[in-house]
Amino acid sequence: MSNVVTDPGQPQSAPLPAKKGPRGEVFIYATWCKGCHICVEFCPPKVLAMDADENYPRIVAPEKCTACHFCDTHCPDLAIVVRKLD
Amino acid sequence: MPVKLMQGNDAIGWGAIAAGCRFYAGYPITPSTEVAEILSRELPKLGGKFIQMEDEIASMAAIIGARVGGVKSMTATSGPGFSLMQENIGYAAMTEIPCVIVNVQRLGPSTGQPTAASQGDVLQARWGTHGDHPIIALSPISVRNAFDLTVKAFDLSEKYRTPVILLADEIVGHMREPVELPDFKTIKIFEHKVTESPATYKAFRNTPDGVPPLAPFGVGYRYHITGLFHDEVGFPTQRLDEIDPWLERVNTKFDTHLDDILLTSADEQPGAKVAFLSYGASARTARHAMKLARAGGTKVDLLTLFTIWPFPEAQVEALGDRVDRIIVPEMNLGQLAYEVERIVGRRKVKRVVRANGEMVTPQMVLDAMEG
Amino acid sequence: MDDQHIYEAHDLQHDEGQLPPENWFDRSETLQKLRKNKKFPTIWCSGCGIGIVMGALIRAIDHLGLDNDKVALVAGIGCTARMPVYMDFNTLHTTHGRALAFATGLKIARPDMKVIAIMGDGDALAIGGNHFIHAARRNLGITALVVNNAIYGMTGGQYSPTTPLGGRATTAPYGNVEPPFPICDLAVAAGATYVARSTVYHALELDKFLAEAIAKDGFSVVEAVSYCHTTFGRLNKLGTAADMMRSLKDNSIAKTALDRLTPEEQAASTKIVRGKFVDIERPQYTHVYSNLITRVQEMNNDQEDG
Repeated sequence: MSNVVTDPGQPQSAPLPAKKGPRGEVFIYATWCKGCHICVEFCPPKVLAMDADENYPRIVAPEKCTACHFCDTHCPDLAIVVRKLD
Repeated sequence: MPVKLMQGNDAIGWGAIAAGCRFYAGYPITPSTEVAEILSRELPKLGGKFIQMEDEIASMAAIIGARVGGVKSMTATSGPGFSLMQENIGYAAMTEIPCVIVNVQRLGPSTGQPTAASQGDVLQARWGTHGDHPIIALSPISVRNAFDLTVKAFDLSEKYRTPVILLADEIVGHMREPVELPDFKTIKIFEHKVTESPATYKAFRNTPDGVPPLAPFGVGYRYHITGLFHDEVGFPTQRLDEIDPWLERVNTKFDTHLDDILLTSADEQPGAKVAFLSYGASARTARHAMKLARAGGTKVDLLTLFTIWPFPEAQVEALGDRVDRIIVPEMNLGQLAYEVERIVGRRKVKRVVRANGEMVTPQMVLDAMEG
Repeated sequence: MDDQHIYEAHDLQHDEGQLPPENWFDRSETLQKLRKNKKFPTIWCSGCGIGIVMGALIRAIDHLGLDNDKVALVAGIGCTARMPVYMDFNTLHTTHGRALAFATGLKIARPDMKVIAIMGDGDALAIGGNHFIHAARRNLGITALVVNNAIYGMTGGQYSPTTPLGGRATTAPYGNVEPPFPICDLAVAAGATYVARSTVYHALELDKFLAEAIAKDGFSVVEAVSYCHTTFGRLNKLGTAADMMRSLKDNSIAKTALDRLTPEEQAASTKIVRGKFVDIERPQYTHVYSNLITRVQEMNNDQEDG
C-alpha cells in the first residue's frame, strides 16, 4: 500500500581527520539513490565514487569535502546531504 | 418577493445565487449568454467573483479549481461549448468535485443554428466524456422550474460530490414568464462538514453511504487530487484492490438515493391506455396534447421528467406496465425515447421527433395516438 | 568570504544564487516539505532534472517561510506534472495543458493562498499555450514553473514546441522541422511581471528565481531548463544524465554576460540565456477584482439608500 514512511534508514558516513578551510560531512541515503552518478561526476574535490557492486556512491575521500553543496542541490532524489562542520 | 417578468436564463442565474454560488467562469455562446451577463452583474454585489475565461475548456477548469478552494461554482454554455467541456467534466466526475454546468441546448450538430432550440445533447450529457462515470442531468420546463432546478442542481452536486448538468434549451432559456421567486433565505443547500483530523482524513474514503466528506484546500487538509485512478488518500494507483472499490462506490453512489435525485411528475387517469412522456420544452407540447386528448374524450397519462440522468427507470417501467403505448415527443431524433424503449420495449414506444429547430406540435403528438 | 568556494563550485556569480540556511542540510528540514505517507524514491528516471527542480522549489518555499497549508501546487500532465504529489502542500493534478485554468479558479476563490502551476514545455506551451497567454495577460497571482526538457518525455519522446530544429524525436524521425518557441519572450510579451530562466545545473540560481517568483504578487514565470536523457538524449546521442547536465553548463550564458557582447556576437550566440528578463509591477488580478467588488457594493448601497 502507500504507507511507506519517508525515513530511508541509516545514513552512511565516515570519520574525518582535521584540516584547514571549510569542511563538510556527507550523508548518503542509499534507499533513495537511483545511481545517476551526478554527485560523483561533479564533486569538485572528488569526495565520492560509485560503489563497485551497488548502484549508489561511496564516500572515498571524506576529508576533502568543503561543504560546497553541489551534490545535495543537484541530487534528483534528495539522497545525499552535506552538513557543514565548524 | 414581487412577481417579475423574467427570462429562463435569468432565473437560472438567480437560482445559482440563491443556492450560494459565488464563482462563475464562462464563455459567451448563444443562447446561454444571458446567464453569464446576469451573474457578471449580480455576483460582485454579493462579494462573489465572475470571470470570462478564454474558452469553455478553461471555464470548466476554473469552476473546478474554485470549488477545490471551497467556493460553489457554475458555468453555462451551449452545444459547441458543451463539447469542449467534456474532458474536464470527466475530471470533475473522477475527482468528485461538485459543480454545475448549464447547457442551454441549441440546434446542432456543429455550429448548427445558434438561435434555434433543440434537445440534441441528451445522450452527450450522459456519455459525452470518456470512460464509465455517473452523472446527474436535470431539464427544466418553465422559467420558475429553471430557478428551482438550478437550486436543486447545486444541492445534488454537493450532496453526491458530482458535476450536475442543467440541460435547458433555447426555448426555456429565452422565454419570459411572470414568476414569483421564493425568499432566498429559505433556500437550504447541503454543506460538507469534515470532522476528522487531517492526520486520518481521506478525501476519497469508501464510506458506506458512498459520499466521503469534502474538505477544501487551504484549511489544514493538505491532500492530493488527481484525475488518475487513485486510492482513498488520493494518490495515483494501479492496484486492482484500490481501483475496483472506487468503481463500485462511485458508480453506485446515486443508487441508494434515487428518491432524492429522480424528480418526475405524473398526471394519471385511471384506465388510460396511452401515455405521453416528455421533458424540457417538449414537456409543454406533451401537456398541451394531453389536455386536447382528454377534452376529446381519450384517457391519457402524462409523465414529465425533470431528472433525465440517471434515467428514472422504475417510474418508466411502472408506466409501461400500465399503458399500451408511450408517446415520446422530443426535439431530437429520439435520444430519450432510446432509453424508454430500452426499459419498456420498442413496440410500446412511439417517437414523435423534430431535429430542425422547430417544436414538436401537439397535433403531431395526437396523430401519434393513431396507428 | 566564507561562501566563495560554494559559488565557485556552482559556477555562479555571488548575486546569481541563493544559499539555503545551514539547518536545511539537516535532512529533517527537507523532509518537512515532503509527504510522509508517500512512497519514495520518486518515479522519475535516474538522473532526471525534474527531481532537481523539486529540490529547488522546496528550498524556495522554505526560504519564504510559507505555511504549508497556504501553498497550492497545480499541475497538468507529464513527467514534470508528477512533482506535486510528493510535496506536503495542497496539490491538484489536473488535465493536460489546463493547469493555469484550474489555478485561475483556485486563486480567484482563494486569493489568500500561494498558487504555483507546475508544467512541462508541452503542457504549458502546446496544449496549454492559450491559457499561458491569458494568465499572463490578466496578471493573476500565480507562479508558472515551466520545466523545459524540449521533449514529450512521459509518452516516450515526441517533439514539443521547444524541441530544437533538427532534433530527432519519435515523431520526428528525420529531424524536427519546426522552429522552437522562446518561452520567456512569450511570457514577457503576454504581460508577465516576473520572467526568469535558469537551468538545473544552476540549481542555486533556480532557488533564487523561484523564491522571487513565488514572492511576487503578479504573474511570474520561471523556466527551468532541464534535459531528458532517456528519450531526447538517447535519440540524439547526447549521453548520460551527467553528460547532458554538463552540456547545460557549457551551453548557457548569463544574461549579464550576453549583454556585454557586441550585437553581432549576441545574434550569433546559440547558448541558453540564464537570467531575469522582466521584474515589474502591474496591478494583480485578484486585487483589481476586489476593488471592483468594493466599488459595486458601495454603488449598490447608495442605490438602496437613495
